[in-house]
Amino acid sequence: MKKIALQFILLTGLFFATWFGLSRIDWMKLFRINKATATTEKKLGDLFWELYHQEHREIKSKKIKAPLDSILNRICEANHIDTADIKLHLIENAEINAFALPDNHLVVHTGLINATENEEELAGIIGHELAHLQSRHVMKKLVKEVGLSVLISMTTGGGGSESIKELIKFLSSTAYDRTLEKEADIKAVEYLAAADIRPEPFADFLFRMGEEEGNAVQYLTWASTHPDSKERAEYIIAHSKDMKLAGQPILSDSTWQQFKSRIGEITAGTEEE
Amino acid sequence: MISVQPFSYAPSEHEAEKASNSYLMSLIAVIAGLPLPIINLIATLIFYIGNRKGTYFVRWHCTQALLSQFSMLFMNSAAFWWTVSILFRNESVSNLYISYIFTVLLFNLTEFIGTIYTAIQSRKGIHVEWFFYGRLTHFICKPS
Repeated sequence: MKKIALQFILLTGLFFATWFGLSRIDWMKLFRINKATATTEKKLGDLFWELYHQEHREIKSKKIKAPLDSILNRICEANHIDTADIKLHLIENAEINAFALPDNHLVVHTGLINATENEEELAGIIGHELAHLQSRHVMKKLVKEVGLSVLISMTTGGGGSESIKELIKFLSSTAYDRTLEKEADIKAVEYLAAADIRPEPFADFLFRMGEEEGNAVQYLTWASTHPDSKERAEYIIAHSKDMKLAGQPILSDSTWQQFKSRIGEITAGTEEE
Repeated sequence: MISVQPFSYAPSEHEAEKASNSYLMSLIAVIAGLPLPIINLIATLIFYIGNRKGTYFVRWHCTQALLSQFSMLFMNSAAFWWTVSILFRNESVSNLYISYIFTVLLFNLTEFIGTIYTAIQSRKGIHVEWFFYGRLTHFICKPS
């Protein structure tokens, strides 16, 4: 019996030793997995953005966009994320929505800015989408939906523009699965904390959206695609409970008000359209 | 790892054939159920149950074949579900995953070669014992 146990330990040990030994080799580099994934993601990002851009009006004016850039910069700098890597797009659209596209494209609708009550709420949503980008959730969601082979074939010209449009719609109007949403929320809270931005307003926004969701308010895409807003607000509060942040303002009151009124005018214009 | 050992008696032609078949069962199942590791185990188990009242030589080799398949099941199932979670869930390909797959492939290949060798030898009536599995089989399977 003793010998059986000893031989079992030896055999199991041999298995784990082989596994450990083989794991010392950098297979990811050897098979160029990361490089191949990055190239695919870049091509997809360009493709998706090009098509999305054709149908939506982007606000490029630095004067209008500056406060949004300031919020993004504050979060990125505090969390050692290269701001240059993030392609932030402000889109004229009354829908309350923000979403991430492959290759670090972060799309924010004017309707969303209009729905936020302060810069901290907006920072929370940007942090949440940034977390999806940084945790590679966008590619995971796409791979899960259509498979890697279809995505690769899209980058090489396969797959028509209609199917790409469908995927953009899928990315912009459906939530990630519950685990990924929670991961992004928690990461967003950590981003905010590092940037000395209070996470409570982000929870307030979610809570408010959850309330309004029941009232079936038009254009409420972000809340309706992110279900259980109230539950999310609760765990954001729970996670940030011990953080005790004073909260450093990002924008002055007047800059925020000015930004909001400009965006409000644009959104009203798109609503009329 | 695999050694030829003396057996308590010289098996007959018929016994040698049956013992050899127990190993061949797992090889045939490899072709049929490569993606689902449980198939190999089921095939060997059916053969084991069918021969549990056979002669000592046949029973012994059916048990050794079954036990080896049983441990492969754990290893292969982990590889199978890990792959499934990469394809359909949120897991991503990592160095640890690739090295695990190579380790499992290496062990499966060794087992595969070992099985062919043992099938050939036991067909000739030669008694072959595997490292660990041989001793474990002696512990479980006693002459009636």
